[in-house]
Amino acid sequence: MQVNVRNKGSITILDIEGKIIGADALALKSIIDQQIQTLSSEAEHGENLNLIFNMERVQMMDSTGLGILVAAYTTIRRNEGRVVLLNLGGNIRSLIVMAKLMTIFDCYNTEAEAIGHFL
Amino acid sequence: MGERTEQVITLSLPSSMRHVYLLRAVVTEILKEADFDEGTQERINLAAIEAGTNAIEEHGDREDPGKSTIFQLILNEDGLTINTIDEGEASTHKAPEIEQVITLSLPSSMRHVYLLDVVVTEVLKDSDFAEEIQEQINLAAIEAGTNAIKHGNKENPSKKAIMQFLLDEDKLTIIVEDEGEGFTRKEVADPLDPENLLKSSGRGLFLMEACMDSVTYEANGTIIKMVKYKT
Repeated sequence: MQVNVRNKGSITILDIEGKIIGADALALKSIIDQQIQTLSSEAEHGENLNLIFNMERVQMMDSTGLGILVAAYTTIRRNEGRVVLLNLGGNIRSLIVMAKLMTIFDCYNTEAEAIGHFL
Repeated sequence: MGERTEQVITLSLPSSMRHVYLLRAVVTEILKEADFDEGTQERINLAAIEAGTNAIEEHGDREDPGKSTIFQLILNEDGLTINTIDEGEASTHKAPEIEQVITLSLPSSMRHVYLLDVVVTEVLKDSDFAEEIQEQINLAAIEAGTNAIKHGNKENPSKKAIMQFLLDEDKLTIIVEDEGEGFTRKEVADPLDPENLLKSSGRGLFLMEACMDSVTYEANGTIIKMVKYKT
């Protein structure tokens, strides 16, 4: 699994690639936690804590990975930030639906729409 | 993570040439973690395939899928050692003409979970399962393996998580065994309960049950048996 971090104004986009399973899911957690920490310390009240997880190149995710997305969501919200999911593949979407988490996550199919969420 | 300890991964395959690719897939994945350069990785991989082919061909007089050939892959800071163990007559208790049993034994570390993905993907490659079903089986196997490694064996690398894959004409059976204290299924909280929705764990068993046709818990939950039928 690989993660590329890029910025669009005050929005941080994590392009995630590969399989979010096992130890790789835990590696993703460290990357997300680090981003949250950096962004939270940069601004008061979650001003810059706007994250997009781009899942376009995620081939597979297990419950460890899903748990990490949920933990990221709760931490970001607690820090008054926002997070959206972009480009969910069929199997990832089914996983989120099965876990009844579709109402929790804001999901978009294009980057422009995802960015629009924060404007 | 126990990097200093020796990691022993055991793969037991029916003695048939069609399973050599599985050895190759597992070795390829293990080497990705090790510090060998690409050329060395290729040579090790070739050597592993040669050793595998040799073991299978020389097993008794010829290929015999009723027997197993065991490959022990030992990864430590000095490098990778591959041992081939001839199980001889010991494994003939399974009906060879119906089932081919593939066994993978892993030290209980989360870093080995990806190997389950590799093995399941390879086992299912030539099966009649639709792609979508293969993905479900793969997820269930990873969840069961994670459950054994994390909750059963508490990520103690000296404890083994053992997975058996039995592919026959009408179904795939996956048996996962750990060395933990076990658990009672009924006592595991429902992850779909509104008060549990935002928890960061506890979805593994639910997903296994959602993905497979049947999931049974034996020996106080230290053995999980999952079945997926082809039709």
